[in-house]
Amino acid sequence: MNWTKSIRTRMSEKLSWENLLPSEQPVYVSSLVYSFGVFTLSSLVFCIASGVIMAAKGPLWYQYSGLGEFLRSIHFWSVQAFFFFMTMHLVVQFFMGSWREGRTVTWVIGVLSFGISVVDAFTGYLSRGDFFSQWNQVQSKDAFNGAGMDGFLNILNNGQVYGIHIVVLPFILFILVGWHLLAVRSKGVVPPYPARLKKKDGV
Amino acid sequence: MKVLRFNRNTLQFPKKDFDMVKEGVISLVISGVVIVGLSALWGAPYRAAVTNQEIAQKSPILIERAALGDLDGSGTIASYGPPYNNGWNRQENGVQSIGSFHPQTWWGTPYPIDAAKTDVLTPLHMLANASDNQQLQSALQTYQSASVKQQQTWDSNLSKALKKANVENGNVVIPRGNYGPVALMMNDELSLAKSGMLSGILDRSSNQGVYRWNVQNDLLFLQGKTLHQIAGKINMKGEQWGINHDEQAYPGPWWLTPYTFLYQIPPWSTSSAGDELAAYTIAVLFAILLFVPWIPGLNKLPRLLSIHRLIWRDWYKRLESDNTCANCPLRESCRQEFRNSKQAVVKSGFAPACYQNGSNS
Repeated sequence: MNWTKSIRTRMSEKLSWENLLPSEQPVYVSSLVYSFGVFTLSSLVFCIASGVIMAAKGPLWYQYSGLGEFLRSIHFWSVQAFFFFMTMHLVVQFFMGSWREGRTVTWVIGVLSFGISVVDAFTGYLSRGDFFSQWNQVQSKDAFNGAGMDGFLNILNNGQVYGIHIVVLPFILFILVGWHLLAVRSKGVVPPYPARLKKKDGV
Repeated sequence: MKVLRFNRNTLQFPKKDFDMVKEGVISLVISGVVIVGLSALWGAPYRAAVTNQEIAQKSPILIERAALGDLDGSGTIASYGPPYNNGWNRQENGVQSIGSFHPQTWWGTPYPIDAAKTDVLTPLHMLANASDNQQLQSALQTYQSASVKQQQTWDSNLSKALKKANVENGNVVIPRGNYGPVALMMNDELSLAKSGMLSGILDRSSNQGVYRWNVQNDLLFLQGKTLHQIAGKINMKGEQWGINHDEQAYPGPWWLTPYTFLYQIPPWSTSSAGDELAAYTIAVLFAILLFVPWIPGLNKLPRLLSIHRLIWRDWYKRLESDNTCANCPLRESCRQEFRNSKQAVVKSGFAPACYQNGSNS
């Protein structure tokens, strides 16, 4: 078996331009709830953009500079927006049973992305460098230690926490979100549950 | 007779025009306006970090009590156990365990702290050397060469005295008593904290090199009553849903609500292993969410709930108005969702009404 050929064939079948950049959707895609996903991504763009600028200036800049504070505010509100839209997206996808018909992997990757985002946001709160960071660091140390994470994570080590926040978790999230998007595009939007038929229809 | 075979992959729903790029750009613009607008209007919450120096100036007794707790082993960190130490006289008070399950101890003590040495003796030695303070040198020597029993007597006497202490001109005033060299040591520790140098020395001890990235020892010095008092005033303690909210009027990390909720109810709120219990409870709940597609009952729940009928109301209205399903030969297969290799077979010439023509193969 030629692995290269097999991968190329599968990729070109699943990731055709028609799937990746569709100009048509099934008619049942007709609700505002479908926009939660794209708004999640848009908010993530602002999280990443503001985060990259803050990272470039260093973790002290946003604590003493006016412009830094504004960037931190953009980061703060984009995270709030990101979680709002992601939570709505998750809840709605649950009600749509969106793991059906070959979409289990899409669901699993989506939930993993949610989990990684929660931890990433927490490490972000710890990187704020204010009382909230101090307090949550000393409070959460017992949970991280108690859970057995102490072997590889010292939550009181700002260097480690900051590195995890700006590189490690975003990198994992980037891969998961990309995979999630490709899975959604290659499988298409989950179809509606079959209609409930009335008794007079013979069912 | 020729038959047509259907499976879900060969079925195509009717399509309508859709512009993905335009939708993406519009959502970016809307998100941008909202996010930048909120940032410009309200900024973001920030409460300056608390320092040892600030506490020493405002509440000097707190600093002396924290330092004495580190010296006599009654402080939380002095007897914490892994990952910081092996407890005080091998007595570990910070190790959480569900039955005999205590992963906290698996890794030993990767972030070592000898509280008495790290927080009190080393900083005071440095102060004495730097300022050529003979009195402090002698007090430290007296304390360290005394028997454990003698040390405990001095520590215990001062600990009781600090409960009745007053503050005058920023200094801690205690009744006369037998405190040995410990009263002087604590006064000098307070002076060190007031000067701002204690934080520097503690940061130095948790960072092996020049760079100061690890704030462990500085934070752990403050972590007991000191930070709890400040946190309590702004409703940040665990039983006040602390981690869940930010400064007033700003949304906090509300997505941690399920986790914070656990701390409000027994057994999580009452167990000595509450943090470990909460962490593993959340892990189990997360696993349930992750594996919903395979959990019998839960994976059928959305179908039973009628919310999907609201989301796809236009679609169902269309099926009803056209009476599409009444005589559809695919309805049974449709009901079973064509899972796995399920296929439906219909007579030639039949095109199911809710799919596009030519979708069969």
